[in-house]
Amino acid sequence: MQAEIIDSVKFGIVSPEQIKRLSVVKLSVPDTYNEDGYPIDGGLLDQRLGVIDPGLVCKTCGARAKSCPGHFGHIELVRPVIHSEFSKIIYMVIQSTCRSCHRILLNDDGIKMLEERSHGISILEEEMIGEGEGEEEGKKSDEKSLLKRIRSIKKCPHCGAVQQKIKFSAPTYFYIEDRKLKPDEIRDAMAAVSNEDLKILGIDPDASRPEWLILGLLLVPPVNVRPSITLESGERSEDDLTHKLVDIMRINQRLGQNINAGAPQIIIDDLWELLQYHVTAYFNNETSGIPPARHRSGRALKTLAQRLKGKEGRFRYNLSGKRVNYSARTVISVDPYIDLNEVGVPHEVAEKLTVPFYVTAWNLEKAKEMLARAQYPSILNLVSTDGKRKRVIDINREELLKELKPGDILERQLVDGDIVLFNRQPSLHRMSIMAHRVRVLPGKTFRINFCVTPPYNADFDGDEMNMHVPQTLEAQAEAKYLMEVQYQIFSPRDGEAIITNNEDGITGMYFLTKDETRLDKEEASYVLGIAGIYELPEPTKDGMYKGKDVFSMLLPKDLDFEIKSHGNTFKISKGKLVEGVVTKETYGRGNNKLLIKIGMDYGPEALRNFLFVSSKLADAYVTLAGVTVGTKEYMTNDEIEKARAELLENTFKQVDEKITQYKDGKLDPLIGYTRRESLERMIIVDLNVAREEAGSVLIKYVNALNSAMQMARAGSRGSIFQYEQMSMFLGQQATLSGGRIKRGYYTNRVLPHIYSGDVRPRARGFVATNYYTGLSPIDLFMHAVGSRGSEVYKALLTARSGYLYRRLSNALQDFHVDRDLSVRDTNNNLIQTVYGGDAVSPVNVQFLKMAEKEKEK
Amino acid sequence: MAKDDNEKEYEIEYSEPVGILAAQSVGEPGTQMILRSFHFAGIESAIATSGLPRIVELVDAKKKPATPITYVYLSGSAGKNVEEADRIAKKINEVKMSTLVKRTVENFSKGTIKILLSKQELESEELTLGQVADRIQKVMKVEARAEDRYVLVKIHTKNLKEIRSTGVKLMKAVISGIEGAGKAVIQRDKKSGEFYIIAAGSNIEGILTVDGVDKSRIYTNDVFAMYRVFGIEAARNAIAKELSTTLDEQKISVDIRHLLLIADAMTAGGTIKGVGRHGLSGQKNSVFAKAAYEETVKHLINAAAFGEVDPMKGVTENILVGKQIPIGTGSVRLAIKKEDMSRAKPR
Repeated sequence: MQAEIIDSVKFGIVSPEQIKRLSVVKLSVPDTYNEDGYPIDGGLLDQRLGVIDPGLVCKTCGARAKSCPGHFGHIELVRPVIHSEFSKIIYMVIQSTCRSCHRILLNDDGIKMLEERSHGISILEEEMIGEGEGEEEGKKSDEKSLLKRIRSIKKCPHCGAVQQKIKFSAPTYFYIEDRKLKPDEIRDAMAAVSNEDLKILGIDPDASRPEWLILGLLLVPPVNVRPSITLESGERSEDDLTHKLVDIMRINQRLGQNINAGAPQIIIDDLWELLQYHVTAYFNNETSGIPPARHRSGRALKTLAQRLKGKEGRFRYNLSGKRVNYSARTVISVDPYIDLNEVGVPHEVAEKLTVPFYVTAWNLEKAKEMLARAQYPSILNLVSTDGKRKRVIDINREELLKELKPGDILERQLVDGDIVLFNRQPSLHRMSIMAHRVRVLPGKTFRINFCVTPPYNADFDGDEMNMHVPQTLEAQAEAKYLMEVQYQIFSPRDGEAIITNNEDGITGMYFLTKDETRLDKEEASYVLGIAGIYELPEPTKDGMYKGKDVFSMLLPKDLDFEIKSHGNTFKISKGKLVEGVVTKETYGRGNNKLLIKIGMDYGPEALRNFLFVSSKLADAYVTLAGVTVGTKEYMTNDEIEKARAELLENTFKQVDEKITQYKDGKLDPLIGYTRRESLERMIIVDLNVAREEAGSVLIKYVNALNSAMQMARAGSRGSIFQYEQMSMFLGQQATLSGGRIKRGYYTNRVLPHIYSGDVRPRARGFVATNYYTGLSPIDLFMHAVGSRGSEVYKALLTARSGYLYRRLSNALQDFHVDRDLSVRDTNNNLIQTVYGGDAVSPVNVQFLKMAEKEKEK
Repeated sequence: MAKDDNEKEYEIEYSEPVGILAAQSVGEPGTQMILRSFHFAGIESAIATSGLPRIVELVDAKKKPATPITYVYLSGSAGKNVEEADRIAKKINEVKMSTLVKRTVENFSKGTIKILLSKQELESEELTLGQVADRIQKVMKVEARAEDRYVLVKIHTKNLKEIRSTGVKLMKAVISGIEGAGKAVIQRDKKSGEFYIIAAGSNIEGILTVDGVDKSRIYTNDVFAMYRVFGIEAARNAIAKELSTTLDEQKISVDIRHLLLIADAMTAGGTIKGVGRHGLSGQKNSVFAKAAYEETVKHLINAAAFGEVDPMKGVTENILVGKQIPIGTGSVRLAIKKEDMSRAKPR
C-alpha cells in the first residue's frame, strides 16, 4: 500500500538560485509580532511562510493551518559567511587547487591516475573516513600519499604559481600567510574551480558547487518547523530557531547600516565576524571553538544540528522509531487457564481497538449484518473508497447501511480469536514480540499463560506490556504463520526451547512423577479434569493410580524416549513414563530433550498443547500435594551444626598451615607465580573446596522430604548453593577485580578490628555465618562490600551490553540468506558462501542433533 | 512433522535475517553475564579477560587484546619431556631488565649507571651478571661491564637528559627470551599428559623462530597476530573460536553459526574490521543508515558536499522513509497475471 516508491535519494547543497526559487518572501524585519500580536510582514513569522494558528489563512497557498505545508523564506546577508559545518570541505578544496589559476594541483599523470582508479571513493572522502582510526596498512600506499603530495606541492603544475600555505583554524577561519581570508575571497576561489577538477576530487558539481558553501542568502525554514507556543499566561514563546534567526537578522541589519554609514573597517569586520558567529550557532550550537548561544534562562539553544543528533534527535527518535495507532498497553497478570498462544484482553481495550473488514461483493451481506449491530462486537468506523473515515453512531447507522458498497472498509471491534502482536520491552530478541489470539476477558489487565513469560522475560510484579493489532491481511497472515507462540518455542540462539514450564509447574511434575506417588480415584479425576482430560489411566491392584501413569495420559501414545543424565534414566516407552522423574532437566528451560522430542516428532501445535495441558496438570497436582517453604526448612539440627563447625575448623586449620609454611619460607610456589600469589590462590582454592563440601554436608544430613531441598532437586526454585547460604555459611565475598577483599582501613586491612596484614579467611571477606543465625558484624560488613560490588558491576554491564547489542545489530542488520543459501547484505556483497557452513537453521540444530542420535541407534 | 531426516527440513529459509539473529543471539545474553566468582581452573582463567569485556574487545577488533596469551605446543619428544620443554620455555620466556633490577644509581659526572640486580630473580631466570652485561651491550649498543655485585653501564656523554633516557630504555631492554612473548610457563594437558607452554604475549612471529615449537599447532588469542602470521581465514576462525570460548565460560549457549557469521562479517573484506562506526557500520553505502547510527551530522554533511546518492536498499533507510524492508517477508512480492486477474470478477 505504498503510494509512492522512493527509489533512491540524492544529497546535495542548495544553490543561491535554488534558494531564490524556493523562497516566497525576503525577510527584512528582525522581529516576530507587532504590538497588536499580529505577525509582522517581512518578519520571521510572516504569514507567507505558512500559518500555525488555527483560523488564519496562509497568504501563499490560501490553506488553513492543518493543510498548509509551510513555505521557505530567505534572508539576504549583507556580507557572505561560511557555512561552518562545511568548513573542512572548503579547506580540502582550497588546499588542493592552485591559489592563482584554481586548477587542481596535479599534473596530467596524477589526474589520469585518479581517474583510472576503480573504486569510487575520492581522495577527500578517504581523508574523512581515515580521521577516526588509523588506516589499514595495505591501503595507505599510493592513494593516501597522493593527497599528501598535493599538499606538499610548492608550484602549480599548470600555471607555475608558487603555492602559499593555507592555514585553517576551526570553526571558520582561514589564513594565507598569516593574512585572514575573507569569506568573499574564498567564494571567488571556489567559484573559479572547474567542474572537471571537482569531479576529480569526487565532488558532483551538479549537486554541490563549493562556492555554495559560502552563504550570501540564508534559507529560512517555514514556521511549521519552528512553531511558537502560547503559554497559559497568554505570553508567546518562540522556538529556539526563531530566536537564532532574529539574532542573525539583527546583526545583518546593523552590519548593513554601518557599511552604508561608511563606518571604519575594523567595526565592519567585527560585525561581520559576529554575523558569522550567529550563523555558525544557527547551524550547530555545539560547534567546537564557539561559546554556545544561550536562552535567557541560561539553557543552551537547540539549533539545527541538535535537532537531528543523538538518541532524542530526529533520526533515532522519530525516524528509526515510530509511534503507532491500533495499540494498547496495560499491566500483565497470570492466567493458567488460557492457552499459551492466547492473550486475555480487557473488555475496555477490545471495545476501542479495531480490525479492518474489507467489504467485497462476496461478503456484503455479512458486512451489512455487522454494521447493523449496535452492541459490543460492532463497527466503529467506516472508511469509504475515497479514503474518508466516518464514525458509525446510532444516528447515521441506517444511512451508512444503505450506502455500504464493495471497496469500503469497516473497522470492527476486537473479538475472540483475532490475531494480535504482544510485546514486552526491552525487545532483546525476536521472541520479545509474538503473535497471540485475543480472548476478551473482564478486568483491566492483559492475561498471559505463565509458560510464555521466559521469552518476554516478564514477571507479574507490575510489568506492563504492549499489544498491536495488525491491520492488513498480509500482516495478519505473517503474524499467524510466523510469529504465533508455538512457532517461537525454540530459540534461534541455540535451538533449545525457551517457552517452557517453570517453578511450581516443575515442582508439581516432580511430585507427581515420583516413584511412590499414588492418587486415589477422586484425586486422579480432579487433576486430569483440570487438565482437560476426561479419561483415567489403568488403576493399580488396590484401586489407586500411579503418578507416573497420570502423567503419561498427556503423552502421545506412540512416544518412545530415553535419556540418561547424571546417572538417572528417564524413559518413556509407548507413551508411558516407565522410569525416571520429571525435573527441569527433562522438562524445564535449558536441557529440555523431552520438549525437543515432542516438537520434532509431533509439531509445534502438539508441543504447545503438551505444555499447556501439562502446566495445568502440574499446577493442579501441586495444589493438591501442597508445598510450603518457611524458616523451618532451613533450621539445622545438631548433626549439621557439628558438621559445619568441623568443616570450618578444618578449612581454617588448612589455611593456617599454609600461612605458617609461607612465613617460614617453606611454601613451594605454583608454576609461574610468586610465593605470595601462590599463597593467595591456594587459600582461595581451599575456601572454594569448603563451600562445595558444605553442599554435600547438606545433601547428606537434610531430610529428603525437606521441601526447599526437593525444589532444588527438581530444579524449580532455589539451589543447594542458596540453601548453603541459609544454613551453613555465605562463603567468600568477591571484589570487582575478582580477588578477596583486602583494603578499606588504612593499614593493609579491611576494618580496624582486624590485625594489619592478616590474610586468614575471615579477615579477607570469608563469611562463616549464615542467614538463619544471622551475620556477625564483621561478616555483615564483608557481605555488604560484596553486594555493593556486584550491584555496581551490574549497572555497568547493562549499559555496556546494550551498546554492544546496538552496534552488532547495526552492523549485521542487512544480512540475509540468498536463494543459493549464501549470506549477502542488501547490496549483494557476499558475506558467507553457505550460511554457517552447512545451511542449517539454528532453530533446528537441536532437532538435527536428536535426529542424528536416533539414527545411530 | 515427519520423522525422516530429510536435510531440507533443517535448512535455513530464504531471506532469513541471519545477521539480526546473530546480533540478538550475542546481544541478548549480554546482560546475563555474571561477575566471575571464584573458580580458578588453571592459570589461563586467572589472567585472561573474560565475559562481556572480552566480547567487546573481539567485536571491536582491538589491535591488541588486554591479555594476550599464546599456546605453544612442542614438536617431537619435547612434548613428553619436562626438561626439554623447560629448555624451550626458557628460550621463549621474555625477561625484561626491569624485573631483574633492584636499584640503579646514576652518576652524572662520570656518565655511568650502576645497576644492582636481584640475586633471587637472576637465579630463577638462570642468568648470570656477565650474561646480563653482554646482552645489554648488544641490545642497547652501550658499554656494559659486570662488576662483582652489579652491572656498570658507561655512556660517553655528560648530557643529563641522555643518561636519564638511556636508563629508562635500559629497563625495557629484553635480556633473554623473545621480545613480546611475555612470561612463558609450562603446562600439562590434563587429558593427554602432553607438556605445552603458555606465554602471556602474542609475538608468535618471534616464538615460531624457536626450535622445537610445533608450527602447526601454535595458537594465540590475539586475532591480529593470527591474521599477520596465518592469514585472514585463520583470523576468522580465531575470532569465532574466541567468541565461543568466552561464551562457554559464562555457560551461555550460542550456536556456532551466529559466531561464524559475525567472524565472517568482520573478515569478509580481507582485513579484520570491527563492528563499530569505524568498521562495518561506517562502511555502509547508505547515508541514512550511517546518519541514523552515529555521527548523524557528519554523515549528512559529507553526503551533501560530495553529492552522494543513497540507493535505499538497506533496512534502516527503508524504515526511515516508511517503506517495507527488503529482507525476510519484505523481499518477496505477490504477482498475478493479467489474464488471471480478468477471470477473478465478482459474481
